Amino acid sequence: MNVMDPGLPPAHATLDAEGRLLHADRRIAELNERAGGAIGVPLAVPQIATIARLAKRLGILVSRGVVTADGDDDVELWVRAEPDGDGVRIAISGWKHRTPWHPAEGPRREPEPLHADADWRWETDAALRVTYLSPEASVRFGVDAAAMLGQPVTRLFALAEDEGGGFPILGALAMQARFDNQRAELRGTGREVRLVATPRADTAGRFAGFVGAVYVVPAIGDAGPAPSLRPLAANFGTRLDKALRGPLGRIVANADSINAQHDGPLRDEYADYAADIANAGRHLLGLVDDLADMNAIERDNFTTAPDEIDLADVARRAAGLLQVRATELGVRLDKPALDERLPATGEFRRALQVLVNLIGNAVRYSPPEGMVWIRAERDGPFAVIIVADQGKGIDPEQHARIFEKFERIDTNEPGGSGLGLYIARRLARAMGGDVVVDSASGQGARFVFTLPLRQA
Amino acid sequence: MSLESDGSLLGAQDGAADLFARAAAADARTHVRLEAAIDDFLTPEDGRLDDRTRATVEIVLARLIATVEADIRQHAGRLLVSRGEPELALALTQRSLPILGRLIEAGLVRDPVFFRELIARVQLDLLAAALPVTAPEGEEPSLLARLANHPDRMVASAAVAVMFAEGRRKPGDTTPARTELPAELHLKLVWWVAAALREIHVGAPLELLDRVLAEAAQRSLAAQDDGERLEAAAMRLAMALDAQPAELPDVLTAALGDRRAVVFVALLAQALSIEFTLTREVVLDPAGDRLWLLLRALDLPRETIARIGLGLSDADPRRDLEGFADSLDRIVAIDPERARAGIAPLRLDPGFRAAVLSLARRPVR
Repeated sequence: MNVMDPGLPPAHATLDAEGRLLHADRRIAELNERAGGAIGVPLAVPQIATIARLAKRLGILVSRGVVTADGDDDVELWVRAEPDGDGVRIAISGWKHRTPWHPAEGPRREPEPLHADADWRWETDAALRVTYLSPEASVRFGVDAAAMLGQPVTRLFALAEDEGGGFPILGALAMQARFDNQRAELRGTGREVRLVATPRADTAGRFAGFVGAVYVVPAIGDAGPAPSLRPLAANFGTRLDKALRGPLGRIVANADSINAQHDGPLRDEYADYAADIANAGRHLLGLVDDLADMNAIERDNFTTAPDEIDLADVARRAAGLLQVRATELGVRLDKPALDERLPATGEFRRALQVLVNLIGNAVRYSPPEGMVWIRAERDGPFAVIIVADQGKGIDPEQHARIFEKFERIDTNEPGGSGLGLYIARRLARAMGGDVVVDSASGQGARFVFTLPLRQA
Repeated sequence: MSLESDGSLLGAQDGAADLFARAAAADARTHVRLEAAIDDFLTPEDGRLDDRTRATVEIVLARLIATVEADIRQHAGRLLVSRGEPELALALTQRSLPILGRLIEAGLVRDPVFFRELIARVQLDLLAAALPVTAPEGEEPSLLARLANHPDRMVASAAVAVMFAEGRRKPGDTTPARTELPAELHLKLVWWVAAALREIHVGAPLELLDRVLAEAAQRSLAAQDDGERLEAAAMRLAMALDAQPAELPDVLTAALGDRRAVVFVALLAQALSIEFTLTREVVLDPAGDRLWLLLRALDLPRETIARIGLGLSDADPRRDLEGFADSLDRIVAIDPERARAGIAPLRLDPGFRAAVLSLARRPVR
């Protein structure tokens, strides 16, 4: 949370003119004692003592977040020190414990809300006056920014109740929390919009305004009567690109270069965090690719090219692509022999995508030192590739479920978008074939990919 | 490689010539790298840009150039179409050209006036973003929201103009419509970009290209309105508000607490009749000594000076907060009259001041 945790009431203490502790509430007294201090002598927690001395010398309230050691733990505190007569009065809130390896960041940095795909952005002050509108508001949606800046936010938006009769923005204001679904009308235009925002806190922990974004709700009839969601769907891939692929690509690239320590040596654990960040970023990029694929596949006009392909060759290439990962995990790939041919009709790129997915799964779920078999066969009018592993296998009751959207073979396993098998089956079927599973729990999984056989 | 592509004697020679050319270039590059390493080693620590500033300067510069470039390309393209040169128009509008790298290499940022503006703008933006926010007491709106509803229309419209200009300046996805550089720097940038475009399109009828680029550049210059710049709007606000000595402490701390660093600078500049850019330089100087004198020249009370010092120190880690706290009593003890005398050189005509400084750098022997 970026706004002060209101959980515990602040603890107080007073210091005399020489900085000696005169009185302290229990929490402060204990923290101070664990640091070796006592009543009647100067504060033993250096960070708090520094703030108190600063407040005394400047003669004004000084408030800031500090992280200080408390036994083996670090504790995040929000310290307010104010001159009081000759001495200093201290109020401490926060009291959040955290593990010591946490990156040493000020505890109260405002996270910038990520609304990269929003139509425009807005900000208010604590009195909910509009203080910022991004240029798109006027350029694309005709908002008269000059007439709105400095005015109550309700002059810009006519707020609407949600299903429960409440206003999310008011709830958020009361709780100093974020909201992400305030319906409203852009006043004077009839345009329906969805407002989202995160609160900002000032140095004293008080509410200082909202930082928000606007999503314009597509008007019914914008796109003709029948497929009213079509323009949104068609845009989905490009919007994803804009919203996610670019930023993720940068995150991965930067994290990789931090990990590689191009700009100088780093402590190992920081380099490792960077590697974790890069991996998580890659995982998300994969998810974005899957979502964009799914979006393309689900379109009515999705077609594949009826190319003449050699499915055995495609299987060898897919196995080749996964060889490095398999070697890393100690899994052996047994692929069709180099001279094997399996002529089929389908789109090369898509067939490769299906097989990379199936073999990738097999590698991921294989035990160490396991083996993945990839066999090319003919079965009546079909060319068949079988991918079998020695993993845990899949319960027959689960066979239908794993081909559904956002389902996973093993939900305990990390990684994967839950879209891979769904996409693989849709692709195979679009090419006149199929992907089916044939496996029992405990006996390894066997996936069968078929395409129409071509008479060579 | 040509060596592989045909294997003929001619191809082999071409390949070798290539290699020799690259080897010669590597020689020159080694020298350049060595000089850069020497410069880097000799740069004093306090003259070094931190990574964040350096990266932001790069982004802002790229955006400034993209703004001008898009403007010129688009208009020049239209002119070329109307003069029956659609291919050239397409080439000019569609090819992606490495203008940024070319202008940096040609020394655009070596121009001290240009770089001074660029870096000051970036540093003030970064300072503003790092300032600790202080919400006004009670239900009161923030400074600019309050001023936007001021009964004096001059104040109200200037406050709105500041918010509007700050919104334009915020980094976003879209290329900004204006550079918001001072007129003379905008002029320089426009001509440099036009020249870079001209250089890349050698091969087209040069005379025609020159004419359309010049015309497009002129148009971009004519469209620039100095008065719309954020800095100009902030100065208009400060003048319209004309804060009296008793009001200054509150508006100055409110501007800082609202992260309106440009307004803070403008208020100081107006109250002291010092140029905006010079005041900005003083505010950005992490040493702070000149700023304390300015604040004392305005006879600001101890509490206001303490708040300003604390806010700026929290926003800029290069500042010495402990040193400031230790010397605050001495700062407050300075007589306003003496402080005013001390800052008199800052009030000189900018041209005169520049000349005085130039002479001071080369003292009489």
